[in-house]
Amino acid sequence: MASISARRLSKELTEIKNEGCPVGINLVKADDFSTWLFTIEVMGESLYQGEKYTLQFRFDSSYPISSPAVQFVVGDGHTSPVHPHVYSNGHICASILGNEWSPVLSVVAVCVTLQSMLASCKKKERPPDNDRYVRNAPDNPKKTRFHYDDDTV
Amino acid sequence: MSSREPLWFCHECHAEMRPLMVPDPACASCRGSFVERMEDPANDPRDFAHFHNADMDDGMPPGMDTFLLSLQTLIDRGIAEGREQTSRVSPEDGISGNRFTFQIRTGSSQSSIGGRSGNGGTEPIPTMSEFLRRGPAGGGRNGRGTITGPLMAQYLMALLGRDGLLGAFGDPAMEGRMGDYVFNQEALDQIITQLMENSNAHRPVPATEEIINNLPREVLEQQSPLLERDCAVCKEQFKLETEDPDEQLVITLPCKHPFHEPCIIPWLKSSGTCPVCRHALVPQPEHHPPGTTPSPGPNSRHDRSPSPSSRNGGRSSFRDNGQDTSGIFQSLFGSFVGGGHNSGSSSGRSNSNSSSAPQGRGNGHLPGGWEELD
Repeated sequence: MASISARRLSKELTEIKNEGCPVGINLVKADDFSTWLFTIEVMGESLYQGEKYTLQFRFDSSYPISSPAVQFVVGDGHTSPVHPHVYSNGHICASILGNEWSPVLSVVAVCVTLQSMLASCKKKERPPDNDRYVRNAPDNPKKTRFHYDDDTV
Repeated sequence: MSSREPLWFCHECHAEMRPLMVPDPACASCRGSFVERMEDPANDPRDFAHFHNADMDDGMPPGMDTFLLSLQTLIDRGIAEGREQTSRVSPEDGISGNRFTFQIRTGSSQSSIGGRSGNGGTEPIPTMSEFLRRGPAGGGRNGRGTITGPLMAQYLMALLGRDGLLGAFGDPAMEGRMGDYVFNQEALDQIITQLMENSNAHRPVPATEEIINNLPREVLEQQSPLLERDCAVCKEQFKLETEDPDEQLVITLPCKHPFHEPCIIPWLKSSGTCPVCRHALVPQPEHHPPGTTPSPGPNSRHDRSPSPSSRNGGRSSFRDNGQDTSGIFQSLFGSFVGGGHNSGSSSGRSNSNSSSAPQGRGNGHLPGGWEELD
């Protein structure tokens, strides 16, 4: 019997394929149950109008009990959006990817949340500790325990 | 050795003494921490000090000259800065004046740093601020306060990172120690990371075995109303025919949300909350109890819950729905339908987008600290 994670992911994938992604979000690659790629654009008026970013999801076997590792793809022609919660290495400081993850959330829910995070941004800037973080950041953003201490963006 | 309590040796005064225990041993005269207990006659620190003072000829590693020269540059710069900050004096006075010395002989050549040599140990050790304030025109206090090597290292470090350290050095009770300082950004980052790793304050608290074992379980039966519902973890509908008999066992949390037993148990072992509504089975960090409206102050650190203008446009803010059965989806998507959050600061996402959010910015308050897990 397939693991819970594989069953859950295949269900999500089927739904994505049948019903499509929300506007502005497109599935790029989901060949297996370990890494998926999406593109994400902010629709309507925003600081990120006309920009398209690639979002990477990495799952481990305990998904959805544990959150996926989600980050923007950087390099090879991809960049991460300049946003106060997005580091230049693509790591994202968002509570739902850490402490506030819940198995009720899904890949699409995360995409929509991040899309909204970009949409509501007032000022394109990097987190103030970007350089320090990026210098020491682990490969997997899940190894970082972010402090979500700004609820204004 | 006699039966007397062993003496201690201060490497900063180069003298025997009885240390102050405050609580770490410190030299009674200079308060320095570079002290050593003299227990082993074969390894007498006095010999070591003597060796350093007199027999450096073969002890100097190659390249030491260059190192010392650059040290001098640093020191000179430090003194110049200190002078600017404290008193304006004419630099000419300083050349023969009251400068400290760092003198080391290597073989035939002699490197001398600074201007004057002194006979360390007998004079009071200047504090960092005295040392800097003195400047070259210290005039009447000639000869006072030659500083020794280890103290020099401390002062150097303070010069390199002078902001905020100066004051501490002025107070003898806070005499710095080499181990108290880091030398570069990387080391500082590591220390910060370490400190943060030790804080578990915001991790979810798992439910205890006892709580988990006491949760009501029911086996699915024909006609059960549960058969029309989904397990929110695996997103599958509850059904009678399953390969795994465990999947016919349903746990309903006190908030009335049902889950397959094998789906919910691993979650509760990582976080004692309902995945749907975040009802807490065990008290969670920063959990706002029902009925209290969390204060939406923009300065409240780690306050993730209160306002719809919270991070991610409010959709990732769950806490305000702590006891609300409409739960996560409302907080995720409620903003699309005009709110549903309990904060009074603004009513919907469109509002918060255009106007309300940014009070918190510009308060010198970092939007996202971070720390590394192991």
